[in-house]
Amino acid sequence: MRILGGWIALTPEVDAKLLFGRHVWDCAQHADLWGKRLPELRAAAQVSEPGGPAVVAAFDLIETAERPEQTVERVTAIYRVVKPHLATVYERHLAVANPVYEPPTRRILLRCIEEERRHAAAGALVLERLFARDRASADRARLWERKLLDALGAARGVTGDVELPLVAEPATPPERASVAQDLVTPPSGFDVEAALGDLAAPLAAHRAALARGELAAVRGELGGEAPPEAVVEYARLVPPFERVEVVGVARIGRQRVVKLALAGPRGRQVLQERWTPTEAGWRIVTVEVTDSTS
Amino acid sequence: MDRPIAYDKLAREDRFVRMRTRDVANAKIEQGMPPFPDLSSEASMRDRIHGILVGEMQAMEGAGRSVYDFPDAPWEFTLDMARQVWDESRHVETYLGLLDHLGGYVGEFPETTLLWRCACAEDAAARVAGVNRGLEGLACDVFNQLIHIARKMGDPVIERSVDYVLADEITHVRMGSRWLNELTRGDAERRRRAIEFQDSIDERFNLGGQRQDGHHEVVPISIAKDARRLAGFTDEEIERLVKSTQRSQVY
Ligand SMILES: [Fe+2]
Ligand SMILES: [Fe+2]
Repeated sequence: MRILGGWIALTPEVDAKLLFGRHVWDCAQHADLWGKRLPELRAAAQVSEPGGPAVVAAFDLIETAERPEQTVERVTAIYRVVKPHLATVYERHLAVANPVYEPPTRRILLRCIEEERRHAAAGALVLERLFARDRASADRARLWERKLLDALGAARGVTGDVELPLVAEPATPPERASVAQDLVTPPSGFDVEAALGDLAAPLAAHRAALARGELAAVRGELGGEAPPEAVVEYARLVPPFERVEVVGVARIGRQRVVKLALAGPRGRQVLQERWTPTEAGWRIVTVEVTDSTS
Repeated sequence: MDRPIAYDKLAREDRFVRMRTRDVANAKIEQGMPPFPDLSSEASMRDRIHGILVGEMQAMEGAGRSVYDFPDAPWEFTLDMARQVWDESRHVETYLGLLDHLGGYVGEFPETTLLWRCACAEDAAARVAGVNRGLEGLACDVFNQLIHIARKMGDPVIERSVDYVLADEITHVRMGSRWLNELTRGDAERRRRAIEFQDSIDERFNLGGQRQDGHHEVVPISIAKDARRLAGFTDEEIERLVKSTQRSQVY
């Protein structure tokens, strides 16, 4: 719950972000149910401690995947390792929980098993989408899963006494319809030409000049009101670029803020320029290199 | 993971164009537009809905951070923040739908990160005062006006959707009222600082001076007094807010 909560802000992809957002509350309720059950079993309410230092180490390892480009690692950790593992542990506990005097525990287990399996199935679908955007990421996911299972294996699972295998497939997979409630369709792409309107033609020429590294020509498109810092910003670019792609177009009244991703042999840079229509054609008024090769 | 994280770590897909609040407002003023969308045109309506969409996203991200950042806070606090994460994730979904309904797209307007910055406050009490009471209180005013305008426009989709979201926001403001009190019990200095943070937000982010005391038909954005009372605001606090709107700055 805590890790998912912390990761939402660190995850760029809207569908993965919303997947985490959906599940934080379910996880919190699971923890709350267990925390309330504790005093009924003569322990302190809402007090928990890790199963051992190796469990802490395994979760510390999970938390290291916090860079924006590591969404695949984040989803893999929670949805291919932690949640299926928890469901497995719960299922084994349920199998031995006495049906006469342990119904309070059994009810919590049943709810947690159902929801963890559903979450894992939803996570698997989001992971498929991520793999579709970047084929190589599937291999990364497999390696990361292996590494985390090893770390969790060294801890003998979350409770420190789990028999292998740490993750067992569900006896009956969750129904598609119930999984769908956890998923939000990612927002569709936008029509770049329509968003640019009559800026499309001058922007095409501008992109070509950027790709060739003709920064003098690019600077010539600065409007009279552009601040001197704009020139300095352009100096931060390291051309040439193989691809200059329009990745974002926002409007402020008649103006357009265009975000370009520039990919070249020396890495990827992101250039954000605000364009304004003038009598002499479109001119750039502000420039920002928001992300550069480091 | 750091507790809290640096505010510039907020992750977005490329299609989002991020700008400073002041720069967006200035670019609008240069073009003779009001700094905050006045809902007088379709584009202005989309601008407002898009602004709320990214605000909901930041609210979800901020509440998620509060779940992570304060492991030593009372468990019930964490539970409330986790609930808020879920609510905000549904609000994001709602506003994605509304943006689509209006023919807009994600990224069509610049994103400013005002809410997120407030959500990075180090103290949990300041966070709930600033975000839940200050900014989500402001959201109550804005949503109330949006419902009123949608009704006048005859758009039941916007009217009903926003009404559901408003109900949740009142709950979030109420959570803020509760936790501001509980977290600062017996610590007058911490309470004073948290309230000061909230007051500074109320004064600075007043929707270009549009938020005022009065009926929907008379003022651009009416302070939602009933919603605020439901959310745990005292009459004295509402009076103070009314006064602060009379001396507010542009943004
Ligand atoms: Fe919300
Ligand atoms: Fe909220």
